[in-house]
Amino acid sequence: MSRPRWNDLDWQLVHEAPQMPALHMALDQVLTDAVAQGERPPTLRVWEWAGPAVVIGRFQSLRNEVDADAARQHGIDVVRRISGGGAMFIEPGNTITYSLYAPEKMVEGMSFAESYAHLDAWVIEALGALGIKAWYQPLNDIASEIGKIGGAAQTRRGGAVLHHVTMAYDIDAAKMLNVLRVGREKLSDKGTTSADKRVDPLRSQTGLAREAVIDRMIATFRQRHGLRDHALSAQEKAQAEQLVEERFATPEWTGIVP
Amino acid sequence: MHGEYKVPGGKLVVVDLSVHEGRLSQVQVSGDFFLEPAETLGAINAALEGQPVSADEAALARRVQKVLEPPVATFGFDANAVAVAVRRALS
Repeated sequence: MSRPRWNDLDWQLVHEAPQMPALHMALDQVLTDAVAQGERPPTLRVWEWAGPAVVIGRFQSLRNEVDADAARQHGIDVVRRISGGGAMFIEPGNTITYSLYAPEKMVEGMSFAESYAHLDAWVIEALGALGIKAWYQPLNDIASEIGKIGGAAQTRRGGAVLHHVTMAYDIDAAKMLNVLRVGREKLSDKGTTSADKRVDPLRSQTGLAREAVIDRMIATFRQRHGLRDHALSAQEKAQAEQLVEERFATPEWTGIVP
Repeated sequence: MHGEYKVPGGKLVVVDLSVHEGRLSQVQVSGDFFLEPAETLGAINAALEGQPVSADEAALARRVQKVLEPPVATFGFDANAVAVAVRRALS
């Protein structure tokens, strides 16, 4: 079978009310598996955050990456996602996060680098329509003239690819650096070299509210690829809540790389 | 002991380990890289466990490469990067 193109697929949009960080981690697993098993059409999920979080990558060391005391002080949940990549600092309203769940066939024959750029081509176009000249910076960054805008991560499970991205809308860099143990050489990757700056590429460059940026992104996707509004099924929600209990809210999972 | 290596154009590889009777012990590789399947991380740690502290970069890389053969896939790092991080932890 040949590689399906964007428009060969029946894309669905899931954009739910704010959810807790651990539930977002679980939903990524549940929806990737649902697409792998053909129980759900390919899906774009836009995340809304019910609380602040540090989200670390599957292979990152918990103690090397996170200042647990500082996180506790600020009331920040520390969770681990199922994909690789780096730590993210999230406060409701300060980032834009989305996931794509697609059949792995869509990126068949592509290198990892090609698949990242392919799956975010619509975002580069959306940012352009908002007046931000952005491009894909290998391996997994969305960059602009004023620095990094976002980072992507992927994992592949059972014939589906999960591709998710977090973009900075307006981040309190001082708080981020208080909670994340970011080495000096990594600072440039986080879009800042100074702890007293705000990292606000999307807010400052578009002058738009976060919700308006998300609406414009969704509109671009809909126009390019087609997109039907959809919701999580009761079964998906129940599976995700169970996975929160059994996996994503447990110290065993969060500390799987201590 | 702790070593880090940022792959040029790639991701960060971190190694934490201790040394017991001249051999690597409690080896933990971590970083912001990508690895499929994820469980391979344990195999990388196991490949390094018990290696002599005198093992050079090439020898360590060969050990790690054995568990990274296809269908295992890496993105942003390779066996050599892990070996460099181990040597940095030991030096």
